[in-house]
Amino acid sequence: MSTDAIKKPSGLTALANPTRFLALVKVLLPYLWVATIVLLGVGLWLSFSVPDDYQQGRTVRIMFVHVPSVWMAMGAYMVMVSGALGVLVWRHPLADVAARSAAPIGAAFTFLGLATGSIWGRPMWGTWWEWDARLTSFLVLLIIYLGLMALWNAVEEPAKSARMAAVAILVGAINIPIIRFSVEWFTTLHQGPSVIRQGGPSLAPEFLQALLVMGLAFLLLFTTLHLMAMRNEIMRRQIRTAQRKAARSHQTGGKKMGSTTSEAS
Amino acid sequence: MEALFGTKYFGFILSAYSVTTVVLLLLVVWILVTHKSRKRQLAKLEQAGIKRASRAND
Repeated sequence: MSTDAIKKPSGLTALANPTRFLALVKVLLPYLWVATIVLLGVGLWLSFSVPDDYQQGRTVRIMFVHVPSVWMAMGAYMVMVSGALGVLVWRHPLADVAARSAAPIGAAFTFLGLATGSIWGRPMWGTWWEWDARLTSFLVLLIIYLGLMALWNAVEEPAKSARMAAVAILVGAINIPIIRFSVEWFTTLHQGPSVIRQGGPSLAPEFLQALLVMGLAFLLLFTTLHLMAMRNEIMRRQIRTAQRKAARSHQTGGKKMGSTTSEAS
Repeated sequence: MEALFGTKYFGFILSAYSVTTVVLLLLVVWILVTHKSRKRQLAKLEQAGIKRASRAND
């Protein structure tokens, strides 16, 4: 077979090569940072330009950081679900890297969702915390994130930890629809959906505009941080492989100059 | 400040935005510091003659 007959990898297959992926990240990151900062600036300006809400008063401004944090917390988990499927079904080399890198970022956004929700709840509901279905299922999401991070760190062998985490991620995914529909299935203190709902958003246009811009800014921030975290994870694996290689060379009678490593390189 | 946060809920709004800023900044700093440290570790390994496959022909 001639070499011309061999197709060049494209799309996700091309990105299976970590070196190619790292090169792409290097190009994308400056643009992503600029777009994130600009959009965050516009979003913040819009957030502080909206009039007071007739019920929430000026505390409606907390919504512009609370709601995007919640969206990103759940979005990060969906990225992990895709990663888990990539590990178990397609065995994509970067699938576990993507899932593992999304976990701490998702955990941070989940914490922010809980913290800002609690800060908003005190003046509006008269309580910092209520064990209702939405708040509790969202706290469970934080616990799932922390549990998965512990699992990845506890299992030494990479392939085994990837498979175990992938199964755990898919089991934990049951919590996502529970969070989403908890306000419809149960009687909760938390209000029902006001953006993604049948009949369209129920928010006034000026609130919706600020919320969507902040949502997009948070999405860009998540994407940027996720790519950076993936780059770190690939480097961690390269270091691990190199250290193993060095240890093996040492055991077999001295280090060979210019010896190579292949995992995630 | 009063125009932005109001007087009644000043503390709540400021706290929400402050905690968001601090957590996101910590996340960015953590990722950047980790990157620097890994870069340094990889450079050390390469200096010691342990090359990655992608750089084996360098």
